[in-house]
Amino acid sequence: MSAPTGHASSRQAVLECAHLVRRFGERTAVDDVSMRIAPGETYGLLGPNGAGKTTTIRMVCGLLRPDAGSVYVAGRAMSTAAGPAKQLIGFVPQDVALYPDLSVRENLRFFGRLYRLPRRRLERRVDEVLHLVDLGSRAGDRVDSLSGGMRRRLNIGAGLVHSPTLLVLDEPTVGVDPQSRHAILESVHRFGEEGMAVLYTTHYMEEAERLCDRVGIIDRGRLVAEGTPRELVALVAERDRVRLTAVGNLTAYAKACRRMARIEGAARSGEHGDVVELVVKDARSLLPDLLDLAHEQGVGVRSVEIDEPDLESVFLHLTGTALRE
Amino acid sequence: MTALAVTRATLLRVLRDRTALFFMVLLPVAIIVVIGVTVSGFDQFRIGLVPSARPGPVAAELTADLQDSPGLRTRTYDTAADATTALRRAELDAVVLVPSGLDADVRAGRSVTVRVLVEPSGSAGHGAVSSVSAVVAEHAARLQAARFAGDVTGGAFDDNLTLARGAEQAAAPIAVRSETVNGQSDFLPLGYSYSTPTMLVLFVFINALAGGATIVQTRRTGVYARALAAPVSARTLVFGETVAYLLLALLQSVLIIGIGALAFDVAWGDPLAAGALVAVWALVGTGAGVLAGALFRTPEQVHAIGPAVGIGLGMLGGCMWPLALVPDWLRTAGHAVPHAWAVDAWTTLLSRGGDLPAILRDLAVLTAFAAGLVTLASLALRHRLTTSTGA
Repeated sequence: MSAPTGHASSRQAVLECAHLVRRFGERTAVDDVSMRIAPGETYGLLGPNGAGKTTTIRMVCGLLRPDAGSVYVAGRAMSTAAGPAKQLIGFVPQDVALYPDLSVRENLRFFGRLYRLPRRRLERRVDEVLHLVDLGSRAGDRVDSLSGGMRRRLNIGAGLVHSPTLLVLDEPTVGVDPQSRHAILESVHRFGEEGMAVLYTTHYMEEAERLCDRVGIIDRGRLVAEGTPRELVALVAERDRVRLTAVGNLTAYAKACRRMARIEGAARSGEHGDVVELVVKDARSLLPDLLDLAHEQGVGVRSVEIDEPDLESVFLHLTGTALRE
Repeated sequence: MTALAVTRATLLRVLRDRTALFFMVLLPVAIIVVIGVTVSGFDQFRIGLVPSARPGPVAAELTADLQDSPGLRTRTYDTAADATTALRRAELDAVVLVPSGLDADVRAGRSVTVRVLVEPSGSAGHGAVSSVSAVVAEHAARLQAARFAGDVTGGAFDDNLTLARGAEQAAAPIAVRSETVNGQSDFLPLGYSYSTPTMLVLFVFINALAGGATIVQTRRTGVYARALAAPVSARTLVFGETVAYLLLALLQSVLIIGIGALAFDVAWGDPLAAGALVAVWALVGTGAGVLAGALFRTPEQVHAIGPAVGIGLGMLGGCMWPLALVPDWLRTAGHAVPHAWAVDAWTTLLSRGGDLPAILRDLAVLTAFAAGLVTLASLALRHRLTTSTGA
């Protein structure tokens, strides 16, 4: 096995996985997954529960040996140089993996020692991470006395003590309250801005859209699409859907709509025939014109619903199932 | 260094756990006291002592001799009536009345009788009289020597008594050691000399076994799985935990030995042999503890099953009662567990004055147990850590 070469980017990839395969008995959990993450890039692995995200991450982190394929971390092969490769990775598991009966600081020291940080650097990094995850005032408290959100933040902090080149987060916001979730997302966004490569798995579409420079959509162990969120949406080429609930001559209104540019379809629908459904390009910019037309036609609009394509609909389009099924 | 990080974390966690400390220190000491007190009276007679109404040096010396005798447990009463009441209540085996005119009579060369009261129904009374007689006879021999010296060479009685004392201390004493034997002619240690080492054997093992819950808890928190994402091998994690358990077992052993020596006057025998025995037994406990940590699924399982297994093995191995008292087949069965070999070794050290060569066979068997358990535990924990969940 040789190190991958000939990248399009001038920068060396922080993570390069090629054709990863992992089977558990008859079941293929990960099937030919390849990905590449550049420095400073946040890559989201998006997929429903059981799609193969965690198995992929376990192979990336050297916790699971792939049946086929390779993992390189900054050019170091996980198969032959696991130690140097792991030294560059900060792993944040889905569940809080800390000693509950040790203090916040002791936990950070413990994980720092696993990465062989010299004593002075360890103490300095522990202080920095405490500041980073905003737990400086609770440094001496036992972990089991912290709130759930604080534990989550510390869980992330423990993956940062050794200043990793690649931060791997496995669904870090599962079961987290909205405030803590916001704080975690802000932190991850900052790590990317500061130049750290981030591999982030989630089944929350909005997190992937908000955080990730690029997203890989994984389903049943296969990477079915990959690109920036915008590229993925364009890949599906979906249009916006507008539902107008109104009173008046809706048949005539729908006919008038069909004559407008950028409207690809209009039809009367609804149980009581009080809905006009439109397929349009860029619904938000078209909405004032639609309302003006309704006014001209003597149609009284009661409500407007706009359904814009997002990663959820991309996923639906690519896999035939909803992301949270 | 990374293994030490694991060792350090485990030590911190256990030593801060008050429940663990209770089982590690307080409970063993409490049981040592209970069993020690229970079996310590078996080789001593309870004597009520009524001192001379006109005390002099000779009477005081006799009183002191009786109080210092290892076979007697004395209690002093102000009056003969009080002591007799205690005797009638079976609180005493005998009462010794130190004669009022002892000093004067001895100096005058008169014969003196020491009265010893016993209850006719008391089974221990006659044995107590024998033991008191032995002490009194020893004292009388000293007085006789002083008087003989005065008759032959002259001089004051007190000076001659001092000379007799010196001669007694200078001469090699002829000692009598009492032993209780059974069919196998094995020693039956009593008192704290029995309870302290057997509780060391019992509790180091139980505590290590129950300590496996800490490993199970760490597995369940996902810390091991996370640690394996660092440049750390499963072997290093297992080694770190093993060292932590070994240190805890050694610490507990040292505490029990220290408390036994300081509080209960237990003489632990040859230091080299005792040290080797403590180390090997700590390894046996370590192996058992790490194995429990690898095999059990929940800490609750460890807490529920571990001590029960530990106590069962302890009973079988002679920690609760000497194996010398049980039938042959049970004694043979008992030696299927390591406890019996450890108790045998301690008995040899404490009751027979044994040294390292005397317990070599026991040590060899215990070393085999330790090696087997530690190897099995390491493999089991390593397997557990490297399976897909790491838990």
